[in-house]
Amino acid sequence: MIEAELKKKRISGDYGFFIFKLQEKIENPDAGQFVMLKAPDEPILAKPFSIYSYKNRELVLFIKRVGRLTGRIFSSPIGEIFYVRGPHGNPYISSIDLTKRYILVGGGSGISPLNFFSELHPELTYTKLYGFKEAHIRKLFNENEQKHLVIEEESGHTVVDALNELISEEVGIIACGPIPMLKNLPKNAYVSLEAVMGCGVGTCKSCALKTIEGVKLVCKDGPLFRKEEITWEWI
Amino acid sequence: MGVDLSIEVFGIQFKNPIVLASGPAGFGFELQPYLDFSKVGAITLKTITVKAREGNPPPRLVDAYGGIINSIGLQNPGIKGFITEIVPELNKLNTIKIGSIAGFSLEEWQLLVEEMDKIKEIPLIELNLSCPNIKGKRRWAEDVKLTQKVVKTARELTNKPIIVKLAPDVTDIIEIAKAAAEAGADGLTIGNGIQAMRINVETGLPVLKLKTGGLGGPAIKPITLARVFKTSEVLDIPIIGIGGIMDWQDALEYAMAGASLLGIGTAVMVDPQSPTTILSGIEAFLKRKKIKRFRDIIGIAHRGGFSVS
Repeated sequence: MIEAELKKKRISGDYGFFIFKLQEKIENPDAGQFVMLKAPDEPILAKPFSIYSYKNRELVLFIKRVGRLTGRIFSSPIGEIFYVRGPHGNPYISSIDLTKRYILVGGGSGISPLNFFSELHPELTYTKLYGFKEAHIRKLFNENEQKHLVIEEESGHTVVDALNELISEEVGIIACGPIPMLKNLPKNAYVSLEAVMGCGVGTCKSCALKTIEGVKLVCKDGPLFRKEEITWEWI
Repeated sequence: MGVDLSIEVFGIQFKNPIVLASGPAGFGFELQPYLDFSKVGAITLKTITVKAREGNPPPRLVDAYGGIINSIGLQNPGIKGFITEIVPELNKLNTIKIGSIAGFSLEEWQLLVEEMDKIKEIPLIELNLSCPNIKGKRRWAEDVKLTQKVVKTARELTNKPIIVKLAPDVTDIIEIAKAAAEAGADGLTIGNGIQAMRINVETGLPVLKLKTGGLGGPAIKPITLARVFKTSEVLDIPIIGIGGIMDWQDALEYAMAGASLLGIGTAVMVDPQSPTTILSGIEAFLKRKKIKRFRDIIGIAHRGGFSVS
């Protein structure tokens, strides 16, 4: 695994941006791909994190504090060494219709891969909608990004409400976020899934997903799927 | 001074004692970009059942203090799918392949052994009598008579070496190990995940959809290690030691307790390159101790340890 030194962090509540400087580069990551990140000690397993941005061995992750590993990352001092490997998973561009432009719909830490997508593929990006519940999140984003934020606490609208006002035949949807949000999307959306992963490369079968074509793996076959191919009851 | 890491067990020459444990490494192919299989002694392939299985619904994996609990549920393409889809690809992995099988009835065991016997790419067969993750099924390895029956049945159907994978969490593993050996097993794998669970306090429900799973990783190492030690004290049969080997020190503990081969599971999931890192660590240790052959340290804990010079 590659040494990743925590260089910078900016936190608000349970969300934060974390910049890691990698000792070696990871090979040409594209949007939708993820890295497996491990703390030097506990917890045991490495966990998947979507790439928010990557340039010159500098890896930016946008993380929500949920468990022991993320808790550890939040409380770590600058200079702390973590380990990463990747990129794993498939780039979004390998599975979407490239003749379309996309509304990128993110919920919480699900905005990560969408941001990377808009950075790398501006020509495929129609607009971005970043959904959050709490207004304090605004202070993590710069002026350019503010207009993309859909804050439930402010407007009473969810990101899916905001999406519904923009939908048209010509534009596609790529979404990443909590399951209830993804379930509320229109049929034709591409959804980027999170899953509990063991290995991240397709061997351990932890991140199984039932689809109309049988059981697939989020790490090896995804993370992007068409909404209608997923058996949602299994999730 | 070169160190000889090779070891001959079951009449087969392994270039080193590192074995990828059944499960976390799948059929090996996905790990190929990250792991040089020519540096691994063997891989125990994912367990095959008669019928294809989609495995248990997720979540199938959860962290536990010092370990992880999984309930994958033997997801596999079934013996037919294995023969048509997987076996033709196996020669891509430059290491010894151990075939792992699990039957749900004696007839199923029979069929699986017969089929495995025909596959020339697979020189050894592991009987997985101890998967902790099958809904509503008791593990064969919890019962002396059932263990004996399966091993005897397998013995009559193949001349390939048979390794029996035992459960570490049984009342008396030695009794079951003896029964397996008497019935014709050539070797034992000790052990497997230990039945375990976690509950989400917010929902008040088990985290895993199957409710319980098998605990693996560092947390079980001292437990499984003791089973290897106790079993090798009374039985002269090669043992694959498995359970929480995360680094070279863990691996050496198993060898010193009496394991001839060292199975790596959880560590492969954390870092696919860990088997080669562990092997280099073992090699460096042997050099430092001026021990020429890995096999000389197997069971040294039973023989008074290293002599002080």
